[in-house]
Amino acid sequence: MTSASNRPDAGLGERLRELDAPESPENGELMDEMFADVTEQCDESDRTIRGFLRGRSTVARRLIILTVFAVLAAIGWYQFPLISEQGRTVSWATSLVAFCILLLTAMLMITRPVHLPALPRWQSVCLVCIAIGATIVAALWPLPAAQAATHDHGSAMAGACMGVGLLLGVPVYALLRLMDRGNALGSLVAAAAAGLAGNFVLKAHCSIPGTSHELLGHASVALVFVLGLGLVHRWIPSK
Amino acid sequence: MPNSPLSSAATDEELMDAYVDGDQAAFRSLFERYGPVLLRLTRRHLRDDELAREIVQQTFFRLHGARNDFRRGSKLRPWVMTIAMNLVREHWRRTKRRKMTTLEVDTQAAPEADFLPIELRQRSELLHVALEKLPTSQREVVELHWFQERPYAEVAKIVGTSEGAVRVRAHRAYTTLKQLLASQIRGDE
Repeated sequence: MTSASNRPDAGLGERLRELDAPESPENGELMDEMFADVTEQCDESDRTIRGFLRGRSTVARRLIILTVFAVLAAIGWYQFPLISEQGRTVSWATSLVAFCILLLTAMLMITRPVHLPALPRWQSVCLVCIAIGATIVAALWPLPAAQAATHDHGSAMAGACMGVGLLLGVPVYALLRLMDRGNALGSLVAAAAAGLAGNFVLKAHCSIPGTSHELLGHASVALVFVLGLGLVHRWIPSK
Repeated sequence: MPNSPLSSAATDEELMDAYVDGDQAAFRSLFERYGPVLLRLTRRHLRDDELAREIVQQTFFRLHGARNDFRRGSKLRPWVMTIAMNLVREHWRRTKRRKMTTLEVDTQAAPEADFLPIELRQRSELLHVALEKLPTSQREVVELHWFQERPYAEVAKIVGTSEGAVRVRAHRAYTTLKQLLASQIRGDE
């Protein structure tokens, strides 16, 4: 209970109390109606995969996401050829680590428990901007020129890389949205995470060199996701 | 729905524990305890009956979704209040209707005050107008500290800031409210 010394003086206190008006007589009925709606909504939600996943504890939700990411990464790493030894430079490794860290941060933001004060929106906006910025910076660190001779059609192949990146990002976006209990700007952060995941895979496996190829085919993935999925999702009123 | 086997003397936390263990009647008891409190809170903030009800329902829907995050020994009230305040804030951000509502205030009676005597309703209206003029961050603190009678430490936890910042906000809010009310009364006379 609040101590008296913390309270405003009696005059103001009395007026504030007036605002706390007594319940109207029909309130009991109203509460019953409201409760019926809530239980219906909860039951309906529990029957869906989304409701089931969102109903898991925060630790469980994070473990599920990490497991899915780890499985996807392992399959990609061992099933598809990485870029040649020549291309595995410090900047290449730095880009991959940066994408991982940003992806992890996005995951933590999206799975933030709802009983904690919501994060300020600028933090989400910052993460989205940093994610897009990181993909652009990574594109400006292309593969060594020595490899360029083997690929003449870098720009032409950009469309193919973009398609692959978008395709790979969709399951990441879907998974994060399924786990999101309703964070502000969650769709935008999930879109940025999907773009990062796409970029991670492209950076690890695509051996086509050239800044223009990476800008058009790789970095554009994050931008398309954020502008497309994120903003469209925001504009379409959700249930 | 049958009443919870837990007695009415059961604490909120005991009810929540029972609900986490699958006791649906405990959820009903929690709704009966917190529903009216949250409805008053959201009505004061939103000045829209329909919307207030929606936010209360959403609060319980989110509480249902987050039930597995509830740890034994935690306090339930800050949980519920934080969820509700997050939803109210999110509503303002999404609709950006803050200014519009402020303009509506003069013509819209407080929903819960319809059956009150005219004089009391007018006084309540003046106070509503004064509260509306406070910044959201200060109004939240008045709401939680005065109306919900929460100590500063708990208010700080709910709004996600330090106790010192909450004290400063409360002091400023009460000072502003006193000034606004004094000027309103002078204006009335």
